[in-house]
Amino acid sequence: MTVTLLVQSILAGLTNGYVYGLIGLGIAVIFRGARIINAMQGDFALIGAVFAYLVANNLGLPMPVAVVAGVTAGGVTAFLVERLLVRPTAKRRGTDDSYLLVTLGGAFAVSAAVLLYFGRDSYVLPGIGGNKLVDIFDAAMRVHAIWLIVISTAVVLVLRWFYASTRLGQAMLASSIDPEGALTIGINVGLMRSFTFTLGGIVGGLAGVLVAPLINIHYEMGLLLTLKGFAAAILGGLTSPFGAIFGGVLLGLVESLAVVMISSGYKDVVAMSLLIVIMIAMPQGLFGRRGRQGG
Amino acid sequence: MTAQLEVRNVSHRFGGLEVLKGVTFDVVPGSITGLIGPNGAGKSTLFNIISGFLRPTAGDIVFRGEIATAHPIQRRSRDGLLRTFQTPRIFRDLTVWENLIVGCHMLGRTGVVAGLLAFPAVRRELKEAGERAEKILGEFELTGIRDVLAGEIPAGRQRMVELARAVMAGPTLLCLDEPSSGLSAAEVQGLMLTLRKLNQSGMTILLVSHDMELMGISDSIHALCFGEIIASGNLAYMQSSLRVREAYLGV
Amino acid sequence: MKQTRAERVATAIAALVGLAIWAALPWFVGRGTIDILVFSGLYTIAGLGVSFLLGQCGIVSLAQSGFYGIGAYATAYGTTVLGLPIPVCIVMGIIFSGLIAAAVGIPVLRLSGYFLALATLALAIIAHVLFLEVEWLTGGTLGIGGIPRISLFGFVFNTPFRFYYLVWPCAFVVILLCHNLLNSRTGIALRAMRDAPDAAAVAGVKIESLKVRIFIFSAALGAFAGSLFAHYVSFISVDSFSIDRAISFLLIAVLGGVRSIAGTIAGALFVTAAPNYLSRFGDIHPILFAAILIVAVIFLPGGFGSVIATAWRASIRFVSRNAAAAR
Repeated sequence: MTVTLLVQSILAGLTNGYVYGLIGLGIAVIFRGARIINAMQGDFALIGAVFAYLVANNLGLPMPVAVVAGVTAGGVTAFLVERLLVRPTAKRRGTDDSYLLVTLGGAFAVSAAVLLYFGRDSYVLPGIGGNKLVDIFDAAMRVHAIWLIVISTAVVLVLRWFYASTRLGQAMLASSIDPEGALTIGINVGLMRSFTFTLGGIVGGLAGVLVAPLINIHYEMGLLLTLKGFAAAILGGLTSPFGAIFGGVLLGLVESLAVVMISSGYKDVVAMSLLIVIMIAMPQGLFGRRGRQGG
Repeated sequence: MTAQLEVRNVSHRFGGLEVLKGVTFDVVPGSITGLIGPNGAGKSTLFNIISGFLRPTAGDIVFRGEIATAHPIQRRSRDGLLRTFQTPRIFRDLTVWENLIVGCHMLGRTGVVAGLLAFPAVRRELKEAGERAEKILGEFELTGIRDVLAGEIPAGRQRMVELARAVMAGPTLLCLDEPSSGLSAAEVQGLMLTLRKLNQSGMTILLVSHDMELMGISDSIHALCFGEIIASGNLAYMQSSLRVREAYLGV
Repeated sequence: MKQTRAERVATAIAALVGLAIWAALPWFVGRGTIDILVFSGLYTIAGLGVSFLLGQCGIVSLAQSGFYGIGAYATAYGTTVLGLPIPVCIVMGIIFSGLIAAAVGIPVLRLSGYFLALATLALAIIAHVLFLEVEWLTGGTLGIGGIPRISLFGFVFNTPFRFYYLVWPCAFVVILLCHNLLNSRTGIALRAMRDAPDAAAVAGVKIESLKVRIFIFSAALGAFAGSLFAHYVSFISVDSFSIDRAISFLLIAVLGGVRSIAGTIAGALFVTAAPNYLSRFGDIHPILFAAILIVAVIFLPGGFGSVIATAWRASIRFVSRNAAAAR
C-alpha cells in the first residue's frame, strides 16, 4: 500500500466520517431533547438533498438558495414528523418499540416517496467550489469535502454554545431531563419537543445538502446513513454532539481502511458489523456519562 | 447446625461509593429472619446480592453450605432460594393460574422442541403443575380469581399471587422484599398469618422491611445502617436499642 | 384463555368450513390470483417467525429476509451445483440458518429495545451485501437459475395451482407447531418472560437461552419459506432478499397482530395482494406499506388479529344469544 493510497483512504474516511458524524449529531440532538431514537434521521438528509436538487435543477435558482431550501425542508419534515407521528404515539403511551416502528415507517415512507418521484436513478448536486480538487500529499481531495469538514465543526460549536448559553437551549434540555419539573417552571414541554425535532431536522437537512455532491442522491441512501449515523452517535455516547462527530470520524476511517484492505463491496458489512459490536461491547460509547444499556 | 444462608463479609461499591462494608450474618434454618434499616442503608443492594441480581465486589454468599456468590438467578431458584419484589412482579397478561404455573417452571424438563412437537411429557408436566397450582390456589384463597388476568386484580391480591407463585417452586429459603408495601392494615395481618403458616411448614424466611409490625413475626432481626450491621437480636431488643433508634431518627 | 363450549363448537365449524373453502378456491380463480395465494402461504410461514418473536418475546426483528435468503440459496446451490436431492437441501438450509441464528443471536440478543431492532436491521443489510458479493455461492447479481421443481411420488409441483396444494399444507403444519408451543409450559414461560423478565428468571426461566432458541425457530421458519420459494420460482436473485423484504415480513407481523395466527395469515394476504393490485399505479406500494405500518402502530396495536378476534367473539355471542332465545 503506497503512501498516496493510504492518505487518499484517510481523507475519504475523514470526509465520510464527518457526514456520519453530522447524521449522528442529529440523532443525538433528538435523543437529548426528546429521549427518542429517530430512525428517520438519514431520510431527513435525503429530503434535504432532494429539495436542494429540485430547487437548483427544476427551478434553476442559485446554489445558496437551494441549500437554504434543503435545510428548511429538513426542518419542516422533522416538525411534521413530530406532530403527525410522534405525538399520536405518545398520546397512546407508546413503548420504545412503537416509536422505533413509527419512525422506521416514516423512513420507509420517505424512501418510497423518493422512489416514486425519482425512480431508481441517482442524481448529482454540484458542490462548493465545483469539482475543484486540492492536493494533499499527492492525494486528491475535493474542495467541497474540506468545506464539509469546516461547516460540520462549526455546527458542533454552535450547538454547544446553543445548549449551554441560550435560554431556549437550556429549556429544551430541561424538558427532556425532567419534563414535569420543566412544566412547573413554565416551560412548554410540547413546544420544546417540536423545537428539538425541528433542530434535528435542520441538522439532518444540512447533512444531506453537504453530502449529496459526494455520494449521489438515490432513494436507498436514507436508511444506511441512519444506521451509520447511529453507530457514530452511540460511539460518541448518544448525548454528546462532539462525541457523535468523533464517533463518525472513527467509523469513517475504519470503513475506509477496510475498503482498501478487503474490497469496496464489503464497505457496508464493515460499518454494520462495527455498529453491532459497538452496541454490544460499548453501549455507553467513549464519552457517555452513565452506563447505558440499549432499550 | 449449618446456617441456611451465610452472608460472609460482603462488600459492594458502586463507582466510588462503598454501599456495603463487610456485612456478615447468618440465617438460621427454619427461622424467620428480618433485615431492617433506614433508606440508603444498603438493604436493596444486599438483597439483590443474596438473590443473585448483583455480584458483590467482595465477600461470599453461602447457601446450604455451598458457595453461591457466582450462581445465576435460575440456579439459586433451582436450589431453593427464591425472592419476591418490592412492587409485586406478576405477569400481567397471564391469568392467575398461569402465573402459578410459571412459578414451578424450574421443576420441568421440557423445552422448545418438545413444546413444538407436543411430546407427551409436555402434557404430563403441565398436568402435574396444574394440580400443584390448584392446591396452592386453595391455600392462598385465590381459587375464585384463577382465570382472571393478573394485571386486573387489586394490589393486595397481586402480592398474594406473587407469594403463591414463589411457593409453587417449593423453596427452602424465601426472601421477601418489602412484602407489606401497598397493603392495607388488614392485608398485612393476613400476610403475617400466611408467612407464619409457611414457616411452620418448614420454610425459612428472610424478610426485608420498614414495617415494624410485620417484623413482629421474626425470630431474629439484623439492623443495617450505612452498609454495616449495627445490631442483631429480637424485636424487643431492636426496639430498645439506642443505636438502632439513632440510626432511624438521627442523620 | 378458556373457551366456552359455544366457542369451541364454533371454532371447529369455522375451521372445517375454512378448510373446504381453501381446498376449493384454486378451481374458481385465475392463475394470477393463485400465484398471490401461493406467495401468501410462503409469507405466512416466514411472517409467523417474525410474529412469534415479536409477540412472544417482544423482539422486533428485521433479520428475517436474511434467513429467507439463506434457505433459498442453500437449496438452490445444493440442487443445481451439488446435485443433492431437494429434501436434503431444504433441511440443510434450515440447519444452516439455525446455526447462523445461534451464532449471531447469542451476542446480539443480549441487547434490548431499539438497540436490538437496529442490530437486526444491520444484520439484514450484511446478509444482503453478502448475497451480492459471495458470487461463487449466490451467483451475485446474476442469481441462480434452473432450480428444480419439487416432486412427490412423481407428481411435479410446477404450476401455481399445484404448488398451492404444497405450500399451504406446509403452512398448516407450521401453524400447528406454533399452536403447540404456545399452549405448552414453554409458551406460558415465554409470555411471562415478555411481561416481567426478572420475575421469570426467579421462576427458573432461562431468559437468554430461551430468546436464542426462539430466534433459531424463527430463522428456521424463514429458511423453510425461502427454500420453498426457490423451488417455486426456479430462479432467484439478490433483489428478493433486500431490505424491502425485511420490511414486508415485519409488516405482516405488525399488521396481522402479533398475538394472533389468523391475523398473521390476513397480514400475509394483504402484503402479497396489495403490491399486485397497486402496480398499475407505478412503484406506489412501498409508500403505502410505510403509511400502513405507521397507522397500524399508532391506531391498531392489535392489528388485523384483534379486529378478527373481536368480530369473532361478538358473532359467537350474537349467535348463542339468539340460539338460546329460540329455545
